[in-house]
Amino acid sequence: MTPTDRPSVPAEPAVRPHIYDGIREYDQRLPNWWLLTFYGAIVFAVAYWSLTQHFRTSTDGERVTAALARVEAAKLASIDTSKLDDAAFWQMSRNPVFLEPGKATYQTLCVSCHLASLKGKHENPAAIGPDLTDDRWIHGGRPLELNHTVTAGVPAKGMITWGPILGPKKIAEVVAYILSYHDPKETPVPEESTAPAIGAPAPIAPAAPQGGAR
Amino acid sequence: MPGQKTTIEFNDKIVRQFLLATIIWGAVGMLVGVLVASQLNFWQANFQTAWLSFGRLRPLHTNAVIFAFVGNMMFAGVYYSTQRLVKARLASDFLSQLHFWGWQLIIVAAAITLPLGLTRGKEYAELIWPINIAVAVIWVVFAVNFFWTLARRHEPGLYVAIWFYIATIITVAMLYIVNHLSIPTSWTHSYPIFAGVQDALVQWWYGHNAVAFFLTTPILGIMYYFLPKAAERPVYSYRLSVIHFWSLVFVYIWAGPHHLLNTALPGWLQTLGMTFSLMLWAPSWGGMLNGLLTLRGAWHKLRTDPVLKFFAAGVTFYGMATFEGPLLSIKSVNALAHYTDWIIGHVHAGALGWNGFMAAGMIYWLLPRLWDKPLHSVALANLHFWIGLVGILLYVAAMWTSGITQGVMLNATAEGGTVLAYPNFVETLNTIRPMMLMRVCGGGLYLVGWFLLVWNLWRTLRGARAVNGTMEVFVEEKTAVTTKDKTLGLLDAVLNPPVVFSALGTVFACAWMFSDGMLRIAGLFGTALVVLLAWGHFESKGREWGGWYDRLLVGALPFTVLTFLAVVAGGLIQIIPTVVANRAQNVEDRLQVPYTPLELAGRDLYIREGCYNCHSQMIRTLLPDVMRYGDYSRLGESIYDHPFQWGSRRTGPDLARVGGKYPDVWHYNHMKDPRQISAGSNMPAYPWLFTDSRDDKVLPAKLSVQRTLGVPYPNWTPEQIQTRVDDQAKVIVAGLKSAGAAVAPDREIVALIAYLQKLGKSEPVAPKTAAVP
Repeated sequence: MTPTDRPSVPAEPAVRPHIYDGIREYDQRLPNWWLLTFYGAIVFAVAYWSLTQHFRTSTDGERVTAALARVEAAKLASIDTSKLDDAAFWQMSRNPVFLEPGKATYQTLCVSCHLASLKGKHENPAAIGPDLTDDRWIHGGRPLELNHTVTAGVPAKGMITWGPILGPKKIAEVVAYILSYHDPKETPVPEESTAPAIGAPAPIAPAAPQGGAR
Repeated sequence: MPGQKTTIEFNDKIVRQFLLATIIWGAVGMLVGVLVASQLNFWQANFQTAWLSFGRLRPLHTNAVIFAFVGNMMFAGVYYSTQRLVKARLASDFLSQLHFWGWQLIIVAAAITLPLGLTRGKEYAELIWPINIAVAVIWVVFAVNFFWTLARRHEPGLYVAIWFYIATIITVAMLYIVNHLSIPTSWTHSYPIFAGVQDALVQWWYGHNAVAFFLTTPILGIMYYFLPKAAERPVYSYRLSVIHFWSLVFVYIWAGPHHLLNTALPGWLQTLGMTFSLMLWAPSWGGMLNGLLTLRGAWHKLRTDPVLKFFAAGVTFYGMATFEGPLLSIKSVNALAHYTDWIIGHVHAGALGWNGFMAAGMIYWLLPRLWDKPLHSVALANLHFWIGLVGILLYVAAMWTSGITQGVMLNATAEGGTVLAYPNFVETLNTIRPMMLMRVCGGGLYLVGWFLLVWNLWRTLRGARAVNGTMEVFVEEKTAVTTKDKTLGLLDAVLNPPVVFSALGTVFACAWMFSDGMLRIAGLFGTALVVLLAWGHFESKGREWGGWYDRLLVGALPFTVLTFLAVVAGGLIQIIPTVVANRAQNVEDRLQVPYTPLELAGRDLYIREGCYNCHSQMIRTLLPDVMRYGDYSRLGESIYDHPFQWGSRRTGPDLARVGGKYPDVWHYNHMKDPRQISAGSNMPAYPWLFTDSRDDKVLPAKLSVQRTLGVPYPNWTPEQIQTRVDDQAKVIVAGLKSAGAAVAPDREIVALIAYLQKLGKSEPVAPKTAAVP
């Protein structure tokens, strides 16, 4: 049906025996680069599946939430810490970027009086500091009041004046950490201190942990 | 051997019919395309008229191009080539005519219902359920006609084009039926049985593979027939045909989830979508190679022959689009490109470059043969080619530039990455306006080229005589011995080295992918072992594989069964776990609050107006999305959405959390005159929503179907439903009135506002793990 084909390429490759409505088919090897592309994609698919499905522990959602937290942190960090308002503190208190260092600072310095659970006297009457998780506050429970209490301290009760030691950034982180146990909708209830006053103004030094406080 | 020579006359009348339909519907589809593209630039082109608005016409454009233009072209090409390749006249003249007229009737029905706003609200699956049934029936008519012809063939072996036709017929049937499963609420409305993520997965399994098995495989088959015929050269490589056919049909089906990357779709599905898309690159290029390299030794003919020009360019565009596809499926590339014009450019490289040019080449080749008269003007056909090519290049270049520009702008941040650089969405839209205008020019040029074809056809056909092809065939007298020897039984077709190795490999690979601990390791080693064994076996006994395949090609039934098994695997593995997984486990940490009856009525209006054509309801797990639209969308937030409305293009902003963002009166004014609220917006106005009253009487039927589908509605009486509608409408109307906007409570706008204000409202639930197999 087809006119005899004049070989226009040098060595004519093998032709399949069958002709379909005049159409003939060469039976050539597959090009190597094509095979390598195919095999390469398969190897990549195996490696990528393994990496994303078998070895990665976080989900896309968790990763974007963390990325967003970093953005918010950067935003808050660019604000002058002395000008933080209540709302900003509440925002920080929901952001792991602040909570993690805040928790670290709390656990090295504050636990001695307020205990790791933040429950202080409420958990162990021998503890020095009051409970920080309930809604009752001696020196005010609003974020700015808390920030002030930590910064200025209550030397008469043994609460150290942390301002000069920690600086505003670390204090803000600790406050955010404490606030993470609270909700913006809570109403702080004022409370009278039950702790005995310490006679003389306390020197600026970390209080030694009391035996039996833990 | 006893036998006799006879002459058969082919049924070429049906080919002529489908060919003319292709040309007419092609012009219509492209014309609507140019109109909707203009509407994006000039909102006035919506003419303040419901049935001319973008949201209703864009589905008409896509459906016309896919099902009317490419559909008719496919039928013409399949019918012409199949008769010659199997040496048999089409089995039934009646079925052929039923197929033709049935299909045209479906197209006309679509062209009437879509502008009327009768839609299912799922892309490329918009047609309402009675038309769906007609499509399924006519497709079966096509299948019967085709397979019956194969059964009566005088050519025992099946040529590669026929393989692609078989894959097309069975796969499109499977995809179409599953994605159109729905329960009617009236003669013109239904709700899909799937919702939320399930609906999204099924939709894009269908949507992606409509591209694969409606726009690709049949055209590849057409290429395998018409290109070597026109070039008068042997096909480059039979072996490549075998490998690329089977890898293409197996791999394609898995790639659907790449339309849902970075969304709420479970991660394992996204990963499958991405990796299988990358693995699809080589199989797709196998088709391009077999097309382009067949032209070796015939390149000089391209200078004069418009047919070969169209084919060569068409195949090149196929190669370009199938390289771009895997590229866009990489999650990080997709993060930029998804929802932008880049995707529009990608599909048009395929639709205009591949489908349109292959159609033009085929038409110019067929005209002189079907009407026994030389083409009126070869020069005009050459001009068509060049105008069309410039049109496509303008179009695609504009869309690339537009897509990347808007993607970069939407993702851009300022002030150390803490705020969005372009917080106002309209700003990004107006930056790409010149590109959108250039798209109209490119598309317009392409349409001009098409009109040249119409003119050429008209002049060729004038005074021409329709002729039917004939062929002398040698009819063997069938003896039981000869047929038994050659064909494979079903069991032989399945139980043989290539199939067994492939099946075992798939099973072990799934064990490795989807299980834990020892089973995972066993799966990995099992897969490696099967690959090694298969390789060793092929090296030593490759000839047997070839012999087995030669025998397989003699039996249409075993071949069809194997093709079906290859295409069904990916779908089953992806869809079944998502569908059977208990809904409650599928919600992540949010559960959607079901719509009130009024909100549901509003949602159906949202779907009727085709809002999903420009607005997504899916905030992706990407920082720029979250910064712009709020917390990322959870699975549970669309769990009651029949159909899902995640969208695929953001001509306007995402609406997943628009509820409560603006007061009711904002939406009221915005729907009345978008530019009053948002200067520079290209959104059409919707004045009819303010004058037309709702049909609340359909709500009881709709709610009852939703209940059947598992949405937790109480068993309200029609009166209770009406009371709820009235109460909610009254509140909205009172609010609007106090803001200075007067509207009657029974108007459509009230329901639409109720719906928009509900978007993003969900209740928190205890976190549960998402469904993973």
